[in-house]
Amino acid sequence: MSIQFKSILELRAMLDTKAISAEELTKETLQLASKLEALNCFVTMNKEASIKKAIEIDQNAAKNSVLSGIPLGQKDLFCTEGLRTTCSSKILSNFIPPYSATAVSNLEAAGSITIGKTNMDEFAMGSSNETSFFGNVHNPWKKGYVPGGSSGGSAASVAAGIIPAATGTDTGGSIRQPAAHCGITGIKPTYGRVSRWGMIAFASSLDQAGPLARTAEDCAILLNIMSGHDPKDTTSLDVESHDLTQSLNKSLKGLKFGIVKEFNLGDLDTEVQKRFEDSKVLYESLGVEFVEVSLPNISASVPTYYSIAPAECSSNLSRFDGIKFGHRTEQPKDLADLYIKSRSEGFGDEVKRRILIGTYALSAGYYDAYYKKAQQVRRLIKNDFENAFNSVDLIMTPTSPNTAFGFGSKGSQNPVELYLEDLFTISANLAGLPAISIPHGTVSSLPVGLQLIGNFLREDQILNAGHIFQQHSEFHLMKPNMEDFG
Amino acid sequence: MDQEIVRTICYLARLEIDADKAQKIEQDLETIIELIGGLSSIDTDNIEPLYSPLEKTAFKHEDILNSDNQKEKFLQNAPNSNNDYFLVPRVVE
Repeated sequence: MSIQFKSILELRAMLDTKAISAEELTKETLQLASKLEALNCFVTMNKEASIKKAIEIDQNAAKNSVLSGIPLGQKDLFCTEGLRTTCSSKILSNFIPPYSATAVSNLEAAGSITIGKTNMDEFAMGSSNETSFFGNVHNPWKKGYVPGGSSGGSAASVAAGIIPAATGTDTGGSIRQPAAHCGITGIKPTYGRVSRWGMIAFASSLDQAGPLARTAEDCAILLNIMSGHDPKDTTSLDVESHDLTQSLNKSLKGLKFGIVKEFNLGDLDTEVQKRFEDSKVLYESLGVEFVEVSLPNISASVPTYYSIAPAECSSNLSRFDGIKFGHRTEQPKDLADLYIKSRSEGFGDEVKRRILIGTYALSAGYYDAYYKKAQQVRRLIKNDFENAFNSVDLIMTPTSPNTAFGFGSKGSQNPVELYLEDLFTISANLAGLPAISIPHGTVSSLPVGLQLIGNFLREDQILNAGHIFQQHSEFHLMKPNMEDFG
Repeated sequence: MDQEIVRTICYLARLEIDADKAQKIEQDLETIIELIGGLSSIDTDNIEPLYSPLEKTAFKHEDILNSDNQKEKFLQNAPNSNNDYFLVPRVVE
């Protein structure tokens, strides 16, 4: 029986009924990854250690839990002890972390097997996975098309059916947008829900880790394990956690979903609009009531984000100096030359652009006008959401205004063109809210995603709404035809 | 935005830009700054900045030793080191 395109729960059943052993599953997964190497989903494979762990799991099968023996990919910005972690950057191309990120440790302690590190936009800065030092990832639905970003390798490897799930991180849409472009499910939890310890920081007040998987149910299983208070992350929330799988089947009858007035969905591609309307009709048939809500400052979310994120990036990325780890230039003239040359050789163009913008926004004379101003507007955006959630349970939007696009077709002349791809996703990061993207059809044979934004710490509601949608539709079962990839 | 400002920011960020890319970078920065500059039209009088969505002060934990000295492990990633230190070009002549 093929393991390709199976969910976590399907693989669990195969393992429990001994239709396959953990060792066989791991070896078949590695073979599949190798066969589909042309997608360029992985930066580093973890072959020997994966097989070794699988054999140990087979020997201790009595102790199995839901993730035991399940192969996963880890986005290459999670530190993995002893396994190269590059953030898809030249500057970290030789970095082998001495410790693992808490989110990864939690998943591995639950028995999952890290088969490799997934490709991504360099330092998670991008919406198309075209900024990786290790090359573009192809969208499994169409060769030469982007998988979205920044968690593009994670999304593509799940969509291609190589692995049932992978970790991602989301600073402005980096889990949800690639999930949408690749036809899978991905959730960005509430800020603070998953520990950021061991995640290589891009924008610390926006970054949040979460899973990408074939179903909302699998996302709930993974998020249960990834999340929890971590004393090593001072922004980790110390709140009671509930089993998210317990509320998946609750009826949606009587729930109110908000439609954002200011998003002008009528301006979107008519087919993207039509998918959205169809999903609305499906939810209405399940007893959901739709209400218009106003987020008056939402149009400011893209400029707000592109002030705050680069500012935090310029500060975070100052640690890469060629001294303690990472790339160091050869034969520098002196210490200052070592810093400048190591950084200039090590970072790609998009990362440099964002560091420069952030440095400018934080510099004397501009701080108030750009950085402080953006943080004030951020509060207005958060207040708008608080008001909206007084009258609705969830907010529903498309995940992305467009489908996946061809390599090089957006942003090369004007970077802002690509930044606007994040229009619907950015505000949840600014306000720290949880949001999920689920597949809801195709436009021109490419998947499109539906976004559900939840109130603070209400992952249970968006996972419930996503799961019920998937119980009444088959979009999450769509598979790409990958004959171009071998 | 002009070449002088770009040079100053590059110095502050300890980055250098290839000469053939300087003009494109200057244009890109100009476009992005224009995008961010649009925020100036929003009234934010008496609005406190929101630096973190949690608005909580970072919690403190007890100062307890919880790992051994891992000097060797950390020095392994250094581009240049001896048994005790990270090595850099001579600073004092």
